[in-house]
Amino acid sequence: MKLRTWVAALAAVLPLPVAAQSFQGKTVTIVVGYKAGGGYDATARLLARYLPKHIPGKPTVIVQNMPGANSIIAANHIYNVAKPDGLTIGTFNRNLPIAQLTGVQGVKYDITKFQWIGSAANETTVLAIRSDLPYKNFDELRKSKERLVIGSTGPGANTHDFPLLLKDLLGINIKLVSGYSSSADIMLAVERKEVDGRAGSYTSLRPFIDRKLVKPIVRARSSEKSVANLPMDEDFAPNPRAKAIMALRSAPEQVARPYVLPPATPADIVKVMRQAFEAAIKDPECEKEAAKAQLDLEFTPGDQAQKILAEVLKQPKDIVDEFSKYIKFGE
Amino acid sequence: MLEAFVDGLLLVLHWKAFAFMLAGIGVGFWVGLLPGLGGATTLALMLPFIYNMQPVEAFAFLLGMHSVVATTGDITSILFGVPGEATTAAIILDGHAMAKKGEAGRALGAALASSLIGALIGAAALALAIPIVRPLVLTFGSPELFMLAVVGLAFIASLSGQGARGMVRGFLAGGLGLFLAMVGQDPQAGVARFTLDTLYLWQGLDLVPVLVGLFALPEIIDLVVRGTSIAGNVPAGNISKGALEGVKDAFRHFWLTVRCSLIGTFIGITPGLGGAVAQWMAYGHATQSARNTEERKGFGEGDVRGVIGPGAACNSKEGGALIPTIAFGVPGSTSMAILLGGFFLLGLVPGPDMLTKHLPVTFSMVWTIVLANLITVALCFVLLNRLTALTAVPGHLLVPVILVLVFIGSYTGNNNYADIVVTLVFGAVGYFMVLAGWPRAPLVLGLVLGKIAENYLYISVARYDWAWLTRPVVMVLILIAVAVVVYPAIQAWRQRSRA
Repeated sequence: MKLRTWVAALAAVLPLPVAAQSFQGKTVTIVVGYKAGGGYDATARLLARYLPKHIPGKPTVIVQNMPGANSIIAANHIYNVAKPDGLTIGTFNRNLPIAQLTGVQGVKYDITKFQWIGSAANETTVLAIRSDLPYKNFDELRKSKERLVIGSTGPGANTHDFPLLLKDLLGINIKLVSGYSSSADIMLAVERKEVDGRAGSYTSLRPFIDRKLVKPIVRARSSEKSVANLPMDEDFAPNPRAKAIMALRSAPEQVARPYVLPPATPADIVKVMRQAFEAAIKDPECEKEAAKAQLDLEFTPGDQAQKILAEVLKQPKDIVDEFSKYIKFGE
Repeated sequence: MLEAFVDGLLLVLHWKAFAFMLAGIGVGFWVGLLPGLGGATTLALMLPFIYNMQPVEAFAFLLGMHSVVATTGDITSILFGVPGEATTAAIILDGHAMAKKGEAGRALGAALASSLIGALIGAAALALAIPIVRPLVLTFGSPELFMLAVVGLAFIASLSGQGARGMVRGFLAGGLGLFLAMVGQDPQAGVARFTLDTLYLWQGLDLVPVLVGLFALPEIIDLVVRGTSIAGNVPAGNISKGALEGVKDAFRHFWLTVRCSLIGTFIGITPGLGGAVAQWMAYGHATQSARNTEERKGFGEGDVRGVIGPGAACNSKEGGALIPTIAFGVPGSTSMAILLGGFFLLGLVPGPDMLTKHLPVTFSMVWTIVLANLITVALCFVLLNRLTALTAVPGHLLVPVILVLVFIGSYTGNNNYADIVVTLVFGAVGYFMVLAGWPRAPLVLGLVLGKIAENYLYISVARYDWAWLTRPVVMVLILIAVAVVVYPAIQAWRQRSRA
């Protein structure tokens, strides 16, 4: 860390030969692995407006949508096709490491070999239940014999996988009803009391929590301070294996908005991009707009993101096999 | 309430909001005309512009744009047989058939008039529904939504040809549609179904390339084969007079226009059904207005009622779709989801507050829909002569232009070359269906409703076991579905006994 600071300071002071790093007159494309309109897309479009200010040469930054196969198509493109010249950046499904880990067909990338710029946000999955239910806390819910109906969009989404593990590993009496077309649809089902609650990222649930429709009751591993006082699923794990599976599910959430460059991108370009992303995300104006758009941005540098994901992919085979029994790659 | 209603109008008429609305209309006008390029994508692109606007200005801009897309999409559909939007495909069946008979002016007149009436009724329904919005939307749970999808599928009966043979073909085409809806990763077990080992099909078939292939390519081939202009050698006649005739048609069948508008509004209100459904249900309903088999045969060959029905539903659903978005923060379509993003940017929280504290803002949205449609329709009538003249342009000059637009349009579906392949495949399917006299509408209905029906049936059974069948609204909907299926048969029987 110290060395990095030094290098950064040096780069700031010395007029280095920046020819290779200047993006003047060029166009940087951020390839998003989803259609326009979702959270990944919104984050990319916001950053595209603030990045030019912080990249040397002030290039134009545009967003291109490349949806399909829960963004495996986009990841394959960045890994195999895109030129490693810093002009193509990829952002995609945070669960792509899971696809690689569980051997999904069609994966043509190694997530740790991308040149990681970093992550623009981290997410915490929480389970929120209707405020009018009698459970005051997670302990009461755990001990209750009553069945809790939870709506989900489908396997691979945190609306599904998180409650699934609560049910199968912690033995909570949950009935999982999947197939809602979006998490907003589940909220409506909560409102008409068709289901008792839903899991999801804390940011997406917050408006409904503020409206007192639901209350958060248990969370996954997280670094967010605002949910720190909620109980964490892993603490109730009956054995180390269950704990490992829960930890594995939540690990990619620390890299919730991944940004990568093609594997062969030169180190100096990677460095420039990391600095640009960090500066853009910490730009006060960008922060203000992000807050308005209900996007919680927080920069995790690439080396750290890479370390987290390498850890995910290092799991022993028996854990991976057990994990694949519960979790399918999706969304 | 009344005060808020007037305040809403004054808010939109403020010069700044009004100017933004005009800008929005300008953008939406072109987006609608260009095939494939969807309203949702454009909304996402325009979202950054609203950061520094006031709420009313921003919604005037976004909604102004959004509410004209369907109107001008109808124009492309009618003139070229190319769906301008995924939500304007149904109007092709009769609208383009009319254009080929040299009645493009009349078809456009009818489409514009009915979509204006539809927009007004949709907006009025939205305004009137505001006090009862919450209970209304909450009545429709998953079992009810499943049954609505079934009612939609029941319209296959009236979208099929006459007689036993026509019915069988219609239901087979519908079955194929349902089967195509199954392609992709299923949301219960996460299994990839019929993806042919490609990544492209993981998320299922995209509607735009399928529709463009199914409807546009056969028309283009037909145009090339005939070697004439779209209107053939029929003399164009007096276009303005034709358009006036079309407007009169919309009023001649006024109650049909109203009923189809209400169908559209209702589909709009129920989140989860999606905009592509409304036009087909309205079209199905329009064909039911045929009084005898002779009249029924005319549908698909240029009956003006087949234009009025989907035309009315297309715009009236927008007013309806705003309801769940505003009142619950639950968007009914992709466009509405993006609009919802706009709410947050502006610091507005959708929910009960929008129906009380921010009521004038809500009404300003209603007014925006009304005004934007009025302006667009007026503008279209001014341009009508130019637009209709295109149907007299020789085919060999028109085809290259249309082809380019068609393929660009379907490519924007996913920015993937496979989109083009899908377009070509369904172009072939569509061409042979037309040749063999198989109806295409049931296939689309099956494709559009398949996923909805599957998911909500699963949820209903998983949540309520068999008890979902005993819910009162479900039982009413079952009766309606049966009535829709049986109606053509009864009609045929009545006619036979009369003869």
